[in-house]
Amino acid sequence: MRQGESVLQRRISLGELLDGESFTDVVKGFVELYKVGIKVFDDKGAKLADIKVGNGDFCGYVFSFPEGRRRCTATVSRVKDGPLGLSHGARLPVIDSDDQARAKGMVTVPCFTGLRYILLPILWEGDTLGRVVFGPFQPEDLKDFPPPSLKEISEGFDTANATRFVEKVRRAPETTIARVLLHFARLMQTMIFAGQKMFLTTQLHIEATLEQNRDLEERNKKLEEMNQKLKDLDRLKSAFLATVSHELRTPLTSIIGYSEMLAEGLAGPLNGEQVDYVRTIMDKGETLLKLISSILDISQIEAGKVRLSFEPMDPFELVNSSVSSLKPQAQKKGVTLETKLPPRPFQSTGDRDRLRQVVTNLLTNAVKFTPKGGTVRVLLSELTHQPDLNTQGFRVIVEDSGVGIPADQFDKIFQSFYQVDSSSTREYGGAGIGLAIVKSFVEGHGGVVRVASEVGRGSRFTLILPALPSTQAQVNITPPVTAIQAPADDRF
Amino acid sequence: MLFDGTLPDVQLNHAQRELTVKIVYYGPGLSGKTTNLQMIHQRTQPDVRGRLLTVETHDDRTLFFDLLPVFFSTAAGFKVKVKLFTVPGQVIHNATRRIVLQGADAVAFIADSRRSASAENNSYWKNLNENMRENGLDPAQVPIVIQFNKRDLPDTRSDAEIEEARKKGKEPVVGAIAIRGIGVLETLFAVLQSAFRSLDARAGLTKNIQLTEKEFLTQVFQNIDTSGTELERLFPPRVKPL
Ligand SMILES: Nc1ncnc2c1ncn2[C@@H]1O[C@H](COP(=O)(O)OP(=O)(O)OP(=O)(O)O)[C@@H](O)[C@H]1O
Ligand SMILES: Nc1nc2c(ncn2[C@@H]2O[C@H](COP(=O)(O)OP(=O)(O)O)[C@@H](O)[C@H]2O)c(=O)[nH]1
Ligand SMILES: [Mg+2]
Ligand SMILES: [Mg+2]
Repeated sequence: MRQGESVLQRRISLGELLDGESFTDVVKGFVELYKVGIKVFDDKGAKLADIKVGNGDFCGYVFSFPEGRRRCTATVSRVKDGPLGLSHGARLPVIDSDDQARAKGMVTVPCFTGLRYILLPILWEGDTLGRVVFGPFQPEDLKDFPPPSLKEISEGFDTANATRFVEKVRRAPETTIARVLLHFARLMQTMIFAGQKMFLTTQLHIEATLEQNRDLEERNKKLEEMNQKLKDLDRLKSAFLATVSHELRTPLTSIIGYSEMLAEGLAGPLNGEQVDYVRTIMDKGETLLKLISSILDISQIEAGKVRLSFEPMDPFELVNSSVSSLKPQAQKKGVTLETKLPPRPFQSTGDRDRLRQVVTNLLTNAVKFTPKGGTVRVLLSELTHQPDLNTQGFRVIVEDSGVGIPADQFDKIFQSFYQVDSSSTREYGGAGIGLAIVKSFVEGHGGVVRVASEVGRGSRFTLILPALPSTQAQVNITPPVTAIQAPADDRF
Repeated sequence: MLFDGTLPDVQLNHAQRELTVKIVYYGPGLSGKTTNLQMIHQRTQPDVRGRLLTVETHDDRTLFFDLLPVFFSTAAGFKVKVKLFTVPGQVIHNATRRIVLQGADAVAFIADSRRSASAENNSYWKNLNENMRENGLDPAQVPIVIQFNKRDLPDTRSDAEIEEARKKGKEPVVGAIAIRGIGVLETLFAVLQSAFRSLDARAGLTKNIQLTEKEFLTQVFQNIDTSGTELERLFPPRVKPL
C-alpha cells in the first residue's frame, strides 16, 4: 500500500511556506526603505529573517556593560519568546483609528533604553504561524534621553556617547511605525500565499510521481503473476486435452476396426442395408478420429511437445500424395481438383508427414469452402531464391473459387479454435484447428504461410518453405485470445 | 480526521485542541468541482476562510487540486478547520487524485447531469471506490454526497431520472447549477452533515469536545451568505454592515 502521509495531511511550518532566499531579499528591501529592523520567527522560535538597521552602535555600547547586557538579553527574549498577549510589559500600540481593525494582535514592548518594539503575530488560516518583531525604533514621544533605567546600568555610562549613537536609530511616532508594520503584514500574507502554492505544488508533484511509479510497479507485478497463471493454465489445458484425446482414440480405433471387420463379412454375411449402416458407423468414426487427432496435435504443439524430424523429401511426392487423398472428397462434392507442377523435379528437406498434413489441411479447407462446380488448384513452384526467407526454397499455393474470407479475419483464422462463422447453425463442419496446425508446422520449418482472399470469389493460401530448414527453428503457435469482460457496476 | 489525541499525528497536539475535517470534491474533469469551491468562497465571510488556492494548467484544467479552508472556534474553545479540496479530473492525474483523497472524511461526488456523461460518471465513480480502497478508506464508511450539476444544459436528466438515480444507492443526491450558485451550498450542507455524523460516530465529537452537529453546521453556515438558497431559513443571512 501507500507509503507516507501526504503534505496535504500535515501542518506546514512558516519556514516551509516562505521561500527562504527571496523572503530575506524582500525583508532587506523593506528594512532599507523604512530604516527599522525586522526579525521573523516561526511558532517554535526559529529565526527566519533578521535584518538590522541603525541600532548596531547604540545596542553594542549598551551591551558592553554587564548590567546592560543582562537587561538587553531579557528584552530580546521577551520579544522573541514572550507571550503575544498584553502581559510581561506589553501594551496596546498607539495607532490611528482607521488601522485599529487590522491591527489585531499587535502589541508594543518598550525597551529599558527608551527605544521600542512592536510585535505582530503571523496569522494564517486561523493559526498563529509565528511573529514579526519590528524595531527597535526611537519613539517621537521619548523626551528625556537617557531614561533612568538606562543611565543606572553603570557609573561609567557616557550620556554624550549614547546620545550620539541613538541618533542613528529611526525616530518616528509609534502610529507611523505601526502603519508600516501593517503594510509589512499584508506583504507577508501575499508571500505566504504564493509560497504555500509553490510549496504544495512542488511537494505534490514529487508525491504524484512516486505514487505513479509505485502504481506502475504494482501493476507490472500483477500482470506478471497473471501471465504466469495463464501460462500454467494453458499447460494444464494442453496436458488435459492430450490425455483425453488419447483415451478417446484408443476405443475409437477399436470401434472402427470392428466395424470394418463386420463390413467385410468376417463375422458372417450381411445384407445390403446392414452393410450401409456399418459403413456409416465407419465413416463417422473416421471423422471423429481425425478430429481427435487434430486436437491431439494442437495440444501437443501448445504443450511444446512436438519435435519435427527433418529428412530428405520430394516436394512432387508431397503435393501428389496430398491431392490424391482429397480426390474422393472433391469428386463426391463436384469440385474440380487441378495440380500444376514445375518442369523438373527437385529435392528438399523437411518433416514429410507434417508437411503432408499441412497441404492436406489446406486442401480440405479449399474443398470444404468451395461449392459444387468450383475449382481447387494446387501449384508447386520451382526451387529458387525466396526473398521472404532470404534463402533457397519453394512455394506451394492452394487456390479455390470458394466463399472467401473477409480481410479482417486473415490473422484470426490461424488461431486455434477460431472460425469465421462460429455459430451453431453454421454450414461447414470442423473445429477451427486446421490452420493453427498449418501455421505452427510451417513456422517450425522456418517457413511462412500467407493468405489472400476476396469474399465470394475465392481464397489463396501460399506456403513458402526453405529447401534446408535450420534445425534451430522452433515450433511456436499463437494461442487463441479470449476477451474478458468486467462486470458492470453502474451507479449512474 | 485530525482530532485531539485519538490519532498519532503531529497535528494532534493536545494543547492545540484542534479538529480538521477534510472534504474532497471528486468527479470527472469539467463536471464543476472548481466552480463549487469558487461559489462557496464567494459567499463566505473573509475572516473565517482562507484564500482559494487553485493550481491550474494554462487551459483552466485543475492540475493538482484546489483548496479552500474554512475555520472557526467552538463554544468550548476547540479550533475547527474544514478543508475543502478538489481533485484533478483528467484521467492521467490518477496518482494525484489518490493523494488528495487520502484521509477524506466525506466526499462530494460532482457528476455532470447530461445523459451523455453517464459513462464518464460511472467510470469516475468506480475510480473513486478503487482509490478509496487503495488509500485504506472503506467506501462503505466514508460518506458520499452526489451532486447532479449542470442541470441548465440541454440533455440533462429529468427530475424523474434523478429520482431513479437516487434510488440506486444510499447516497444523498442534490441537483445543481453550480455556475449560478444553485445547489452548491445545499451540497456543502449535506456533505458536512454526513461528515460530522460519521466523525461523531467514530470519535464521539459531542461527548469529547462538546461539539454538536447543530453547532458545527451553524458555525459554518452563519458565516456564509445563504440568501436565495434552501438554507436561508435554517441559517438566515446576516444583515450586511452598511
Ligand atoms: N479456403 C477457405 N475458404 C474460406 N474460408 C476458409 C478457408 N480456409 C479456412 N477458412 C476459414 O478459416 C477458418 C479456420 O480454418 P481451420 O482450417 O483452422 O478450421 P476449420 O476448417 O473450420 O476446422 P478444422 O480444420 O479443425 O476441421 C474456417 O472455419 C473458415 O472460416
Ligand atoms: N452550463 C453549466 N456550466 C457549468 C456548471 N458548472 C460548471 N460549469 C462550467 O463547466 C466548466 C468546468 O468547470 P470546473 O469547475 O472547472 O470543472 P472541474 O474540472 O470539475 O473543476 C467551466 O467552464 C464551468 O463554468 C453548470 O452548472 N452549468
Ligand atoms: Mg480446416
Ligand atoms: Mg477543477
